[in-house]
Amino acid sequence: MTGPDGPAVQQVIDDFNASQSEIVIEPNIMPWDQLYQKVLTSVTSADGPQIIAMDASRVPQYAATGALATTDDYFADTTYMDTSVLPSAAVNASKFRGTNYGVPFNLAPMMLYYNKDLFKAAGLDPEKPPTTWDEFADMAGKLTVDSDGDGKPEQYAIALADHETVPMYQPFLWNNGGGVVSEDATTSIVAEPASIEALEFWTKQVRDNKVSPIGLAGADADKLFQTGKAAMEIVGPWMTNGFNEAGIDFGLARPFAGPVAQDTLMNVVTFTLNAKNTDEQKKAAYTFFTYWNSVDSQITWADGSGFPPTRTDVPADKLQNEYSAIFGQKELLENSQVLLAGVPNAGTITDDIFHPALQKVLNGKGSVKDIFTAASKDIQAQIDKG
Amino acid sequence: MAPSLAVIAVFMVWPLAQSAYLSFTRYNRIQPAEWIGLDNYLRLVQDPEVWNALSNTAVYAVVVTPLTVVLALLLALLLNQSMLARGFVRTAIFLPFIVSMAIISFAWTFLLDANIGLITYWLGRIGIVAEQGWLADPALAMPAVMMVGVWKSMGFYMVMYLAGLQSIPQELYEAARIDGAGPWHRFRHITWPLLSNQTMLVTIMAVIATIQVFDQIQVMTHGGPFFTTETLVMLIYRVGFQNLELGYGAAVSWVLMVLVFVLSMLQFGYFRKRAVTY
Repeated sequence: MTGPDGPAVQQVIDDFNASQSEIVIEPNIMPWDQLYQKVLTSVTSADGPQIIAMDASRVPQYAATGALATTDDYFADTTYMDTSVLPSAAVNASKFRGTNYGVPFNLAPMMLYYNKDLFKAAGLDPEKPPTTWDEFADMAGKLTVDSDGDGKPEQYAIALADHETVPMYQPFLWNNGGGVVSEDATTSIVAEPASIEALEFWTKQVRDNKVSPIGLAGADADKLFQTGKAAMEIVGPWMTNGFNEAGIDFGLARPFAGPVAQDTLMNVVTFTLNAKNTDEQKKAAYTFFTYWNSVDSQITWADGSGFPPTRTDVPADKLQNEYSAIFGQKELLENSQVLLAGVPNAGTITDDIFHPALQKVLNGKGSVKDIFTAASKDIQAQIDKG
Repeated sequence: MAPSLAVIAVFMVWPLAQSAYLSFTRYNRIQPAEWIGLDNYLRLVQDPEVWNALSNTAVYAVVVTPLTVVLALLLALLLNQSMLARGFVRTAIFLPFIVSMAIISFAWTFLLDANIGLITYWLGRIGIVAEQGWLADPALAMPAVMMVGVWKSMGFYMVMYLAGLQSIPQELYEAARIDGAGPWHRFRHITWPLLSNQTMLVTIMAVIATIQVFDQIQVMTHGGPFFTTETLVMLIYRVGFQNLELGYGAAVSWVLMVLVFVLSMLQFGYFRKRAVTY
């Protein structure tokens, strides 16, 4: 919300505050890392926030401590809204042990951005980005360019971030039939053959074929695509403005399919409630959630941010911002997954186990099998710890 | 005296006592702290992350402390001579110390970036290719954060040494010259012994600062790649404030506290015998 999407949020909040006289929403927008550092201190203080918007994957961590109130009654009570218009993946993303602790605030599926000029320069059709892993591997050979022959490419086929990023490697595991954690959120499956095979394919692409630099954070990957040094990146709708301003002529497509599936990552931000709220405050919050998720508000939000609307029944011809429609394609949303939804300690699993293990492999510190077998034990321990 | 005692009590003694208590509990800020006795301490002895952080901290301290002190002394000796633009050079070396470490770290992060870094580019031109940039390469990340640590603090220690050099009576050097002592002997038998007060102060400060290193690592590498630059303070921050294990974080910070205390006492004991008064 600190980026170009901030004004769109503010617009909806201003509209809400003007639309009635009983409830006032005062937003306090801050960078994510700051937010997560402050959540617990502010929730425990007497004067803390009543609503906290956070990434759905963080919900279990805070719900387990008792800091958040359930929102099950919001979905049960039909007087607020017909919640069946909200995509179920987004609604379920904030569930922890069968209880929901959130109401969708926004959702963002990742898409493949590709630089049309670089495709043309490599002799590729700028309207035909890769649709499978094999096509990617073929095209990557032409899009990775080491013009001065020093062993370090000046241009990379893709920018794949391996830490501090929206997860970029994990969907590859899904698309080979594997994953990080089983669907019921109880078992680590990162060392299953399908997961290992996917990791072996991609780490080989990066290490041996140098399709992407090693050691990129999410912001580095964005920068690389933004400066025309990477021909592709898989990222969310928040980058469209930045890439346009940088003058990149980019196309958008569904990320290429793996051998088993063509799923993409969906990032869900959800409204959560301070457990200390009074009933009256909770009702007021629900009134606001309903307003936020109304058709009109979602048009305002989608037009201002380029994000898809949170509801599936907004007619596409009502949306002015072309990107909202592209990122809101039914086919894309229906084939999106939320990473580690409902898994306790999801942040630790991603930041302290999966990404470091991936970096070890990329830096040649061992085989995928050995490193991820060890990582799998650590992931299981985090799940069991709850 | 009373007001300062009150400040110390509120901002030092009370938090210390609190963290000592928390280190024997399981605590996440929401639920009340649960007494678990020595469990946190038993856990940290077996925790490979703690040993990794301890070893990274030791490596950092063992390299950065002597390097900073020696460079500070050499620069002080050099800039104690009369030379062209002496004031400018002294200021230039001291300047990094007064700039916020976070800002310096951001600047170095850009300079060392794999794809847009100026230093990476220059080194690439003369054939030194850091393919992943300095900060993402497990072999180069630690040297990079060390270099920034040395570069930032050596100016401050240099100023302390300069003050020491200027308090040494010139007569001693004159007498030594008359007795035929060369530059090395004058340094070895006059300058070095008479700087031992400064050396004590500078070394103790440098050891404490290096063991508590945090800022530049937090900004430049976040402890990565795969924890190769994670120090004890970074680990405390991660387990305490990111993983919300405040009891365990408190236990690790007590280990750090005892470590700093013991090392400082050892140094103090060693240097006290060599203190000079004149």
